[in-house]
Amino acid sequence: MTADATAPVRDPAWPLSRSAINLWVTEGVIGALFWVVVVTAVLVFVPDGGLPSPLRWALVAFVVLEAVVTIGIRPWVRYRVHRWEVTGEAVYTLTGWLTRTWTLVPISRIQTVDVTRGVLQQLFGLATVAVLTASSQGTVRVLHLEADVAQRVADDLARRAELVRDEAT
Amino acid sequence: MTTADTQPRRTSPRVVLVHTATFRQARQLVPVLIPVAAVVGLDDGLLTVVVMAVVITALSLAGAVLSWWRFGYADGPTAVVVTRGLLARSVRTVPNDRIRGVEVETPPLHRLLGLVRVRIDAAAGSVGTNEEELVVDGVPRAEGDRLRARLLSRRPAGVPAPDGEPGGGTDGGAPPVEEELSRFQPRWLLYAPLVGSYLVVPLAAIGTLFRLVQELPDAVVPDFAGPEPSPPVLVAALVAAVPLLALTAVVGAAVVNWRYRLVRRGGSLVAVRGLLTRRHTELEVDRIRGGTLSEGLGMRWVRAARVNALVTGLGQANRRGQLLPLGPRAEALRLLGRLVEYPGPLTGHPPAALRRRLVRALAAGLLVTAAGVWAAAVLGWWWVPVAGVVLSVLGVPMGIGRFHALGHGAGPRSFSVRSGWLVREQAVLQRRAVVGWQVQQSVFQRRAGLATVVACVGAGSGGYAAVDMAAAEVPVFTAAASSGTWAGTLAPH
Repeated sequence: MTADATAPVRDPAWPLSRSAINLWVTEGVIGALFWVVVVTAVLVFVPDGGLPSPLRWALVAFVVLEAVVTIGIRPWVRYRVHRWEVTGEAVYTLTGWLTRTWTLVPISRIQTVDVTRGVLQQLFGLATVAVLTASSQGTVRVLHLEADVAQRVADDLARRAELVRDEAT
Repeated sequence: MTTADTQPRRTSPRVVLVHTATFRQARQLVPVLIPVAAVVGLDDGLLTVVVMAVVITALSLAGAVLSWWRFGYADGPTAVVVTRGLLARSVRTVPNDRIRGVEVETPPLHRLLGLVRVRIDAAAGSVGTNEEELVVDGVPRAEGDRLRARLLSRRPAGVPAPDGEPGGGTDGGAPPVEEELSRFQPRWLLYAPLVGSYLVVPLAAIGTLFRLVQELPDAVVPDFAGPEPSPPVLVAALVAAVPLLALTAVVGAAVVNWRYRLVRRGGSLVAVRGLLTRRHTELEVDRIRGGTLSEGLGMRWVRAARVNALVTGLGQANRRGQLLPLGPRAEALRLLGRLVEYPGPLTGHPPAALRRRLVRALAAGLLVTAAGVWAAAVLGWWWVPVAGVVLSVLGVPMGIGRFHALGHGAGPRSFSVRSGWLVREQAVLQRRAVVGWQVQQSVFQRRAGLATVVACVGAGSGGYAAVDMAAAEVPVFTAAASSGTWAGTLAPH
């Protein structure tokens, strides 16, 4: 999949941490539970006459399908798609699962480097590195790296950006 | 007002008059007053209106005095400090090197009293909001000019404002480095009825009028209830409305762009315009990274265009960056050429992009048609499928038009991308402007061998996209359109 002939540009070299799959599965489970609660509430509290029976089955089918996709399929597809790389001159990422987005930012134009750790990320020992530039659209996010790797990458990028910074806009 | 530079200064007390007359502070009270009036149960009489007017004016005066009294500003050697607030004091400090631009504007009432309003733009990035603007409202004209010259310290202090008054008596004394880049020709106003933004203004004015009439007590509003208007009368009214709308668009454009002048003075571009409110904007040439050429549907028909400069760290870029508000395309291209070298003819996008544009343009119409067939069969709403068919038919020229607008090109020092149909926008940017590349490819684009490339730029809207270009061209274009070698990272092995 990654060596696709129709891919417009090359893919970054490095995969994310494998724990990212667990994190995405957990997110999928939480999302699926939410839908289960909502649909159960609808089925229980709406009286029999209020909802035609095909619609009831469609709701159940939706919940099952959503759970299968977000728990069983999407985490693995995402893991195979997501990649990142720091080269001598730039930070490069590939994200998405159906729509893919490659983002490249030269180190000389980096303005700030942030490391963030969400609640779930802390559970799995992961962190996100966000690289910001002067453009609101030119932000690179490397999701779900091991926390120590993320910190090292951020420190390294911040130091190098300081050295080679040109007009940074 | 002979205070030292670091001492806080006050605005002119005359500004109290301006704010009282314009209900600047009292305007916030209107939503409170209306329910109060409703609860108190004032009867709908002329007296009520008079009492309300007096009360509001008194409140307005009080508000204006208070906010004048509590407002102070100081332009120190390193930063500008603005202090304000009635109960909660707010002190804002903006370092001088963060100031991106200073705008001096003169609304009509200010002009009458010899005052100006100074807007200090301190945006940190391209995501500018009003939060990043300091406004010093109501200082004497000379003080405004002093402030502007001082804050933009890269320029020699004491430069007079160009063409400050509509009388224009300062031209003779202007410094010799001044070079006029563009001057508004009155006949360009004839383009105005074909420009969406000028047509919207009279419509918005009518809407405001209706709302105002509804909010007035009933007794003051004359009773229009006559016989129901017949269809011929309605048609005649609509026909009469068209030239009226065109006329108001021309008048609106004239008011905003009156005596528009763009000059280059030293290291900055200075734009002055406006009939009632005289607006004076300065852009630093060093921060200009390119420009956009926008042509609306109607404007393309008469070969008119507008030009905006793309300036790094400029808040409200759409209004401030305007270099040619309205004019012939040839003039627009000439002006754009002064900002950034034109990269040469654009390359069109592959036929697969046309298919995608057509599918998108037709999708809405076909969906309505399909739903309409059902609606016609079940509910007998025959007009729904008809509307769907009309939408679909209109979608064809729209899709083709959107396809023809697509293009990209890279020259030795600059590059360009173009898209849009209702408003076609071409961005021409210097290669050094690019702070990153983003390549997007959906499942459908992958199957069609296309990709969308966004040049991330720290100016304007933040990103300019070449939509649906051939996937194989992406590495070539990105390498050709960015300075240095870093974009080579994208090239396939």
